[in-house]
Amino acid sequence: MQTFGLLLDGFAVAVQPVNLMWALVGSLLGTIIGILPGIGPALTIALLLPITTTLEPTSAFIMFAGILYGAMYGGSTTSILLNTPGEAGSMMTALEGNKMARAGRGAAALTTAALGSFVAGTIATLALTFAAPAIAELAFYFKPADYFALTTLAFCSVAVVMGNSRTRGFISLFIGIAIGVIGIDSMSGQPRLTFGVMQLLRGVELTVVLVSLFAVGEMLYVASRFRSAPAAMASVKGQAWFTREDFARSWKPWLRGTLIGFPMGALPGGGSEIPTMLSYTLERKLSRHKDEFGHGAIEGVAGPEAANNAAAAGILVPLLTLGLPTSATAAVLLAAFQNYGLQPGPFLFTSNPALIWGLIASLYIGNVMLLVLNLPLVGIWVQLLRIPRPQLYAGILVFAMIGVWGLAGSWTDLAIMLVIGLMGYVMRVYDFPIAPVLIGLILGPMAETQLRTALAAGQGNPIVLVSTPLSGTLMVIALLFLAVPPLLRRLRANA
Amino acid sequence: MKLSKTLIALAMTAALGTGAASAQVNVMLPAAPGGGWDGTGRQAFQALKDAGIYTDGVNFTNTGGAGGTVGLAEFLGTSTGQPDALAVFGAITVGAIQLNSSPINLADFRPVARLTAEYLVVAVAADSPYNTLADLVADLKADPGAHPIGGGSAGGVDHIAVALLAQEGGIPVADLNYIPQTSGAETVTAIVNGTLTAGVSGTSEFAQFAEQGRIKLLGVTAAERRTNLPDVPTFTEAGYPIELANWRGILAAPGAPDDNYAQWVDRFTQLSKSDAWKAVLETQGWDDYFLAGEDFGAFIAQETATQGKVLKDAGLVN
Amino acid sequence: MPALSTDGQDNSQNGGGPAAASAPARPYWIGIGVMAIGAVWLYGASGLPQGARYAAVGPGLFVTISGAALLVLGAILILQIWRGESFEPQEAEDAQADAGMDRRAFFTALVAVAVPIATMKPLGMPFTATIAFMLVANAFGSRRWWLDLICGAVLAALAWFLFARLGLQLGGFFPPLGF
Repeated sequence: MQTFGLLLDGFAVAVQPVNLMWALVGSLLGTIIGILPGIGPALTIALLLPITTTLEPTSAFIMFAGILYGAMYGGSTTSILLNTPGEAGSMMTALEGNKMARAGRGAAALTTAALGSFVAGTIATLALTFAAPAIAELAFYFKPADYFALTTLAFCSVAVVMGNSRTRGFISLFIGIAIGVIGIDSMSGQPRLTFGVMQLLRGVELTVVLVSLFAVGEMLYVASRFRSAPAAMASVKGQAWFTREDFARSWKPWLRGTLIGFPMGALPGGGSEIPTMLSYTLERKLSRHKDEFGHGAIEGVAGPEAANNAAAAGILVPLLTLGLPTSATAAVLLAAFQNYGLQPGPFLFTSNPALIWGLIASLYIGNVMLLVLNLPLVGIWVQLLRIPRPQLYAGILVFAMIGVWGLAGSWTDLAIMLVIGLMGYVMRVYDFPIAPVLIGLILGPMAETQLRTALAAGQGNPIVLVSTPLSGTLMVIALLFLAVPPLLRRLRANA
Repeated sequence: MKLSKTLIALAMTAALGTGAASAQVNVMLPAAPGGGWDGTGRQAFQALKDAGIYTDGVNFTNTGGAGGTVGLAEFLGTSTGQPDALAVFGAITVGAIQLNSSPINLADFRPVARLTAEYLVVAVAADSPYNTLADLVADLKADPGAHPIGGGSAGGVDHIAVALLAQEGGIPVADLNYIPQTSGAETVTAIVNGTLTAGVSGTSEFAQFAEQGRIKLLGVTAAERRTNLPDVPTFTEAGYPIELANWRGILAAPGAPDDNYAQWVDRFTQLSKSDAWKAVLETQGWDDYFLAGEDFGAFIAQETATQGKVLKDAGLVN
Repeated sequence: MPALSTDGQDNSQNGGGPAAASAPARPYWIGIGVMAIGAVWLYGASGLPQGARYAAVGPGLFVTISGAALLVLGAILILQIWRGESFEPQEAEDAQADAGMDRRAFFTALVAVAVPIATMKPLGMPFTATIAFMLVANAFGSRRWWLDLICGAVLAALAWFLFARLGLQLGGFFPPLGF
C-alpha cells in the first residue's frame, strides 16, 4: 500500500497546471513526430536535451514521457491511412490497418489502435507502478557479471533478429561498438582512437549518431529515390467508428499485445519492432478469421498497437530501476537524467520520489490526453501529411544540424554528422539494419565496463562471468541465439 | 514576400538587441550541464549578481569531456590574451591533464580564485566486519587484490585519496585493485552487492546513503570532523595524516590584461565575503575554500606535484 | 476514397521485384570498407595496453575485439558478395526503393549536409541553415528558390531565437557583422 500512497503523491505533482501543460506539450509533440517521417521519439528528445539547463526536471521528464507515448499513437495514424509507418513499431499496424482503411473501415482501425494503445498504456503503466520499486531492490543483487551477460544476450539477439542477414546485422552491431570505444576510456583514463583530435576525447555523442543515422541518412536516401507523387490517403468520413463486433474481436488482442510488449520492452535490445511482430504472428495464429488476415483483420491492428505502447512503458522499467537503457529512447532519457546530475537506479526512488512518482502519474494522465487528442482530432493530424515534402525534409535537416551544433558548437560534430549520415545512406541502400548500431553504441561501453569490473573484482578469473545463476542462464541463451538458427537450417536441409 | 522581409528585418534587429545584452564576460564550463563545475560557475555568477558585485551579462559555454581538459584546451585556443574570459576547473583537472598527456599547462593560465571544496569519505557495507580505517587497511595490506575499492574516475581525487591512504598504510599504490565507477550511487550499489570492499566519494554524495543504513562511513579527509557527520573520524584521527579536498576554482585566460585580471580577483574576493555566496554554500553543502590570485597559483603548482607523484606511483603515468 | 490495392505486395519488404537493379551486382567495396574500418581499429588497439593489473583485460580489449570482428565480418561479406548475395534497398516513407538513384538530387542533398562544416562557425547558424534548407528543397525537386529562401530564413531565424532562449549555444546570429 506504500506504493499507492506514493502514487497519490505523484498525482499531486502531475496535476499541477504547469506539469499538465508540459504533459500536453509532450503529447502534442509526440503525436506530431509520430506522424512525420524521419523523426522519432529518441531524436526529438535528443534535440530537446538542452532545455534541461532551463527547465525543472519533473516538468522536463513529464514532457519527454508524453513524447514517448505520443509517438506510438501518432505512428499508427500514418500506418493506417497512408500505409507508411512513421515509426518502426508501427510497421505491423500498416499490414492490416491500411487494408482496413482501403476497405472503408479506416475509422474502426483507428479506433482499435487508439483504444488498444490506451488500454495497453494504462495496464503497462500499472505494471510499471507496482513492479518498479521491487525491481529497484534487485539492483543490490545484480552483479557486474549479470549485467555483462545481459548485454551479451542483447547483442546476440539484436544482431540475429534484426534484418535479413546475420552477417550484416553483426557488422551493424560491431560498427556501433567500434564508435562507442572512441574517446577517453572511463576505467583507465587512456585516450582511444582519437587520432589526436581534442574534441574526440569526449567520445562520439549519441545525439550526433542518432541525428546522422536517422534524420540525415534518411533524408539522403529519400532524396536519391524520391517518389514525388504522394501516397494516396484513405478517408474516414462518415464511417462507423466501432461496432460491438469490433470490440469483441479487439479486446483479447489488446491484452495479449500488452502481455508481450511490456516484458519485451524491458529487455535490452527488445525495442518495439520485435514485440509488435510477435503479437501480429500470434494474432494471426489464434484468430477465428484467418482468411481476413492480409485483407484487413482488426486483430492484426489491435494486437501490435497494444504491444508497441506496452513496450514503450516497458523500456522505462530497467531505466528507472537499474539505470539500464534498453533502447535509443531510453539512452537519451538517461542522458537527460545525467544532465540534471541524477542517476536513475534504486536510489532515485528514495532520493527523488516527487520526480519518479510525478513522472509515473503523468503517464496515466498523458494516456488519457492522447486518447482524447487522437480519436476525435485525427482529421487535424492527417493535415500534417500535406506539408510539401521538399520543405519538410529541408526543415528536418535544419533541426538536425541545430541539434548537432548546439551540443558543443564543435565543427568536429558536424563532420561526424556528414560521415555517419553517409553511412546511414549506404546502410539503407544495401539493407543493413540500423537498430544494432545504436544498441552497440549504447550497450557497448556498458558491456565493457561491466566486463572489466567483474574481472577486476574477480582478479582476472573468467569463471566469475558465469558465476551467478542469472549470468550463467543468460550466457547459455545468448549462445543458443547464435547456434540454433544455423543448426535448424542445416537440419531442415537434411530432412 | 513583403511580410517575410519585414519579419527578417525584425528578427535581425532583435538579434542585435540580444547580442548586445550578452557576452560581457565569457565563462567556460568544461563539463556537461548539471555537473559540479557547471553548478559552481552558474551559482557563483548568480551570487555575484545578487550581491551587486557584477551585474552585467554572462555568456556560458559548456564543453565537457576528459576531466575538463577538452574545455580548457578550447578556452586556451579562443581566449588567450582576452580580457573578461574565465574558466571553471578543479582538482580533477590537475590529474586529468597528466593522465591524458594533455598539452595544457595550468601554469599558463592566470589563477583568479579557489572557491569551494568538498571532502571525501571512505565507506564500506553496513554489515561489513570493518569498523575503522585501520581494520580496512590491515586487510588491504594482507591481500590488496582481493579487496577491490571503487570511486570516481581513474586518477581523479577519489583515486588519489585511496592511493594516499595506501601509502600511509605501507601498501604499494600499484598493487591496489581500484575500480572506477560512473557515479557515487553506482559505487554504493557495488558496495552493497559485494562487488567492492570499500568505496570513496564526496561527503554530500555518501551521507544520504549512510542515513538510509546502506553503508557505514569509516573516515573523512577533512582536517576536522564534519558537523553533519559527527561520528565519522578524520583520516588524521584514524592514524593516517592525510588532508584532501575536491576543490573547484576559477582561471582567467593566459595573457589576460593585468588590470582586468586584478579586477576579477577583486570581484571574487568580495564575493567570498558576501551573504549571497554564503547562502549558496549553505544550500549546496559546499565548504568555503577561498584563496585568491598568486597564492592560488602556488597551490595549483603544489597540487600538480603531489598528484603527479601519486599517479606515477600508481603506474598511471610514466 | 482511393481504389482498393491490386494485390498484397505493396507492404512487403522482401517481396522480390527488380530491387537489385539500382545496386551494382557485386558491391565488393562495402566489404572492403568494413575491413578497412576493422584495420583502423586494430591499428588503434596496437597502441593500447591489452592487460591490466587485476582485470587481466585492459583498455585495448574492446578496441581489438571490434576491430577484429569487423575485419572478419568484412571478409565474410566479400565472400557472400562473390557468391551472389543480393542487396535490396530498404523501404522508406516517400521513397521508391526499386527506383534508380537520382545522382543530382543525392549530391545536392549531400552538399547541404557538408556546407555547415565550412560555414557554421564563420557565418553563423541562421545563414548556414538557410543555405542548407534551400539545397535540400532543391534536391527534392522544389524549383521556387526564392520561396525556399524565405521559408528557410524565417525557420532558421525563429529556431535560432527559440533554441538560444532555451539555452543552446548556437553562436552569433551573423558573426561577420559581429553579432
